Amino acid sequence: MGNSVKHHPSLSLLEQFCDGSLTPEVALLVATHLDFCPHCQRLSKDIEADLACSFAAAPVAAGQDDWLSMMQQVLAEAETTAKPVTPSTDPVVTNLEVGGHQFELPRALQRLSSKRSKWLTLGGIATARLPSGEPHHISLLFIDKNTAVPQHTHKGLEMTLVLAGEMVDEQGRYVPGDLIINTPDDTHTPRNVSDDPCLCLSVLSAPLQFKQGMTRLLNPLQRFFY
Amino acid sequence: MLDQRRTYGHHASQFANNSPGLMDTTETASPLNLGQWEEALGLIAINRDKSAYAGLFNYFAPRLKAFGIKMFGNEQQAMEMVQDTMLNVWQKAALFDPTRGCASTWIYTIARNVRFDMLRKKQSRKDDISADDLWSDGDYPEQEDLQSHSWDLYIIAEKIAPHFAALPPAQRVVMEKVYLEENSHQEVAEQLGIPLGTVKSRIRLALDRLREAVDGQQR
Repeated sequence: MGNSVKHHPSLSLLEQFCDGSLTPEVALLVATHLDFCPHCQRLSKDIEADLACSFAAAPVAAGQDDWLSMMQQVLAEAETTAKPVTPSTDPVVTNLEVGGHQFELPRALQRLSSKRSKWLTLGGIATARLPSGEPHHISLLFIDKNTAVPQHTHKGLEMTLVLAGEMVDEQGRYVPGDLIINTPDDTHTPRNVSDDPCLCLSVLSAPLQFKQGMTRLLNPLQRFFY
Repeated sequence: MLDQRRTYGHHASQFANNSPGLMDTTETASPLNLGQWEEALGLIAINRDKSAYAGLFNYFAPRLKAFGIKMFGNEQQAMEMVQDTMLNVWQKAALFDPTRGCASTWIYTIARNVRFDMLRKKQSRKDDISADDLWSDGDYPEQEDLQSHSWDLYIIAEKIAPHFAALPPAQRVVMEKVYLEENSHQEVAEQLGIPLGTVKSRIRLALDRLREAVDGQQR
């Protein structure tokens, strides 16, 4: 599954993922990429070890802090907390059905997928938002076989991760695990030219703008894609 | 589970197996006193050993606080993060697996996750993306990767030199010792007083960084 992944996050994106400084939506996209990509899994373990090494070796000045009393508080709190690990009450969903197709979900999306919004369908395309805040929106995007997303540009950043099936645009061909990043300068037409449906995870920082002919009529519908 | 060195002294056992007598060198050279914290976590997990916990607390709490202040920018949240992280360390010590990495990495990732969830709760986004969704508990299957090795000779010989200077100092020192001075990974670990695993991970990170630099050049 991981061998064919060719489009990876940059090292700096991985570093920000590892130190926890990415926005939750972008972090979720990177985490999902890792579920597909042994190479980046190993890199991120290395980065964590490196960050932890500087953290642990950092010299600290002797301060006024009363660590002994904090430790006693922690131990007292541990006594009163019955179960150390509270199991999550959210259902874990390993499969997703859309457009009459079943998709297997990667680990990172299994809990969250039960919290998605309703599917909005437009032709062969459907989208459902996952819980997210500002400034990024994160959605599942279904593209049926032989279907194109109308050509568009972005006011902001668009990040797409292929979860199942395959997709092409002006730059290349993408398979599950591949990460595609488009900046405001890029114009592209993602298409599914295969005979199988395609499922993607999409992070947007601003609505899409459609460029060509009749598709400009879609601009009032841009919230659909956001 | 009975052989403590095997179970808890991840790095210590690595060194001891490969090169007897090396322990002393690394212990004096390293600020971390290799193996100590892995062993402490083992004692906490099995015996609920409060004195082992106190030792760990005294070492890591101030460092967690410094990390928290850097990330939050204020002391109150930093202290909340320290307390929550150290509670997790006490409660989850049995989940620590020394074959997957050293104690400081485990504690660092707990702190990172605690911080992430604190930020989320502060924004009242309880249903939202949580640290558990993002960071699996290290349960990816182990993968052998031969890519870095096949790259070794090729990229060093080629147009790598100009990018060498741009490497983070810690990685550059390791790369110079391995590729220019032709030391073994083990020797570099010994000279710098760092775990063998750290030498290897710095090399992989540096190689990846150089690969990225070369890719950028070709475009």
